[in-house]
Amino acid sequence: MKRNPLAEIMLGLGGVLTTAAFFMAFFWAPGTSYPDGRVDFAQKIFYFHVPVAEASFLVFIFTAYYGIRFLMTRERIYDTKARIATEVTLFFVLLTMATGILWTRVEWGVWWQWEPRLTTYFILTLLVIAYFVLRNSVEDEEKRAVYASAFGILAFVDAPISFFITRWLNSIHPIVFGGGESSGLETSMLITFIVAQVGMLMLGYAFYQLRLREEELRERLEALKIEIGD
Amino acid sequence: MAKSNSWRQFKAILRKDLVMELRTKEMITSMGLYALLTMVVYQIALAEAGDSFDVRLVMPGLIWVAFIFMSMLGLNRSFVHEKDQGCIDALLLSPVDRPVIFFAKFAGNLLFLMVVELLSLPVFSFLFLQGREGFGNPVWLVGVVLLGASIGISGVGTLLATMTVNTKGKDVMLAVLFVPIMYPLLRAAVGATFAAVIGGPGTVQAFWLYMAWVAGFDVIMVAIAYALYEFVIGV
Repeated sequence: MKRNPLAEIMLGLGGVLTTAAFFMAFFWAPGTSYPDGRVDFAQKIFYFHVPVAEASFLVFIFTAYYGIRFLMTRERIYDTKARIATEVTLFFVLLTMATGILWTRVEWGVWWQWEPRLTTYFILTLLVIAYFVLRNSVEDEEKRAVYASAFGILAFVDAPISFFITRWLNSIHPIVFGGGESSGLETSMLITFIVAQVGMLMLGYAFYQLRLREEELRERLEALKIEIGD
Repeated sequence: MAKSNSWRQFKAILRKDLVMELRTKEMITSMGLYALLTMVVYQIALAEAGDSFDVRLVMPGLIWVAFIFMSMLGLNRSFVHEKDQGCIDALLLSPVDRPVIFFAKFAGNLLFLMVVELLSLPVFSFLFLQGREGFGNPVWLVGVVLLGASIGISGVGTLLATMTVNTKGKDVMLAVLFVPIMYPLLRAAVGATFAAVIGGPGTVQAFWLYMAWVAGFDVIMVAIAYALYEFVIGV
């Protein structure tokens, strides 16, 4: 099993970029303010919340993609890849939920609001959790892989719905990009955001690759143990 | 030739399910009883709301809650039989095309679900809506929602129940997978039912907008379920 230097570089670079974005957000990007002139400090979470949310959607694509690949080829590695992709998705989904709820409390005055984006994202969270519940409740290895792939593909349908729903329906969730006159960012805010987003995607890639390598090693170890046992 | 063959196979599987149901009456009675029990629970839920509370406001939500849980009961039953009596293995051994199995089970589940829905809706009206204002829009619109949403429920449910019948949790597992997947459909079904029940300016338009949503879900999700079924049933 070869090392994956690219994943390690991405991990380091992603860590540096997301940390840099954190400082840029507080010391460089201008804060927005409320109509009464107070600084909107909660807006700073935008540089963390949106990158993790985008990452969760993007990584979830791989769950469906490797699910399809698995069903086509029946090669176990694709099922493992789909599972790891879903693990990384779950990680980002939980971060999105946690940061989103904090922002909602400050900005909307409530911890939770059943509005379209939050509702569909909550459903997405349940689907990602259900994926693992399903895996745990099937004993036969092939069945588990097939069922998980099928469910991953079916569950993925919610991701584009959740992503685009703020643009389709009357949602109070902010639309920052391409949402009409009040959307869009100042240059320094945009740069900070891009740094955070690129860093977060690098981290996502690194988590996925490193977890995959760990999993491959573990499977090889299991195979060796069985061989020695015989 | 091949087409008529598939049609005969489809009819044979569907007839098998119907004959079994007519002999045991297990699905209809268990689903119907479940619906009745749910209504007792609704009485408890609404007990303190008072007479002035307009039940029509929550009725769409209540009936779809009853129908979604009822449908899970039926879907689970429908495949437990197949599995316990070895019927699914026999079906797989026989020279029947896999898509035919999907459509036959789908049609059977849809039929049972529609029957129980159509039976329990008047009962719901009898128990909760007497002496209230009538429906704002023609009643047949509710029938349209029932059909539209039941297609999605049975189509995707057939795929999911085929999987969950082989898991440890069976019915619990079905709920865990089924409810979040069904969310967009149910939300639209409740919206359409609400528009049909309340009535007033603009509600007919809202109704068809929700129905477009239901139809979109049906087409996309049933197509995906159909495509995946072949992989799922063989393992």
